[in-house]
Amino acid sequence: MSLKRDIPTSALSGFALSAILVLTILNVLLHHIPTKIATAGEELLKLNETEGVANAVTTVVVYFRGFDTLGEIAVLFIASLGIGLMLHTNSKCDIKAESNFMLQTASKLLFPIIMLFGIYVMIYGHLSPGGGFQGGVIIASGVLLLLISHKEFEVPHGVIVALETFAGISYVLIGLIGLVVLDKFLGNFLPHDISDMGLLMSGGVIPIIYIIVGIKVGSEMSMIVQNLIRRESNV
Amino acid sequence: MIGFIIFTTFLAIVVVAFAAITQKKLADSIILFMGVGLGSVVLFFTFKAPDVALTEAVIGAGISSLIFLMALKHLGEQT
Repeated sequence: MSLKRDIPTSALSGFALSAILVLTILNVLLHHIPTKIATAGEELLKLNETEGVANAVTTVVVYFRGFDTLGEIAVLFIASLGIGLMLHTNSKCDIKAESNFMLQTASKLLFPIIMLFGIYVMIYGHLSPGGGFQGGVIIASGVLLLLISHKEFEVPHGVIVALETFAGISYVLIGLIGLVVLDKFLGNFLPHDISDMGLLMSGGVIPIIYIIVGIKVGSEMSMIVQNLIRRESNV
Repeated sequence: MIGFIIFTTFLAIVVVAFAAITQKKLADSIILFMGVGLGSVVLFFTFKAPDVALTEAVIGAGISSLIFLMALKHLGEQT
């Protein structure tokens, strides 16, 4: 008779607790909005010189707007979660046509180069154009090439889970350490001298955060690609 | 010179996009859509936005077109 599902009280209280927590965080954040929003870009570009990072876009994306980047990564995580929830299958794909011999040979040659380029773009994100998002997607495209050419290849699930968990937790931990040390979320608590600008070891915490973003984006995009291809070859 | 490059690329993007929506075969339209992405990469680069150009090259012309081609293959197997 009762069509309503029983909602356990523990879930309800957990929901209320998280809602209170989110409201508190939002309240704290909304009181720290800069007053001059319209000229924020020029102000940020002037401030860029204080952080010792050669690529001004990276400073804005990772440091001045680091909380937004955390939100974007959360959005990508939710997209990966939805695709995995809807399309994930445990059955092996049984495709009839084996892939081309040319594709198999060329993928063995190209896969290390693509991975190397992705890691380069990820690590040098604070010196040259590119960064975590682009490097992660390049790595995912390398995984896609391997998935197309080798039918028995499978993305290692445990490694992906470990990498993604490590990246998410360490992003938030670095932000909280900055909050404790410098009284500011994602504060730059490592040494960042202006004289080091242009070197690989410069910018303090910013390249570390971009590498973490790259690891997270790469693992999530690899899982998305694998789920799509499995589904495609499974029907 | 920069103005000439921008004008030519913009014209090429418009022509390729019009060709992409008038193709009979879907695979041809997807490949022409990749051409639109490549043209916009050149435009972003000449507008001094190399970060956006790299993102467009990887996501717009690379992964999304490959996913479109996979979906097209799936549709062709079903019908």
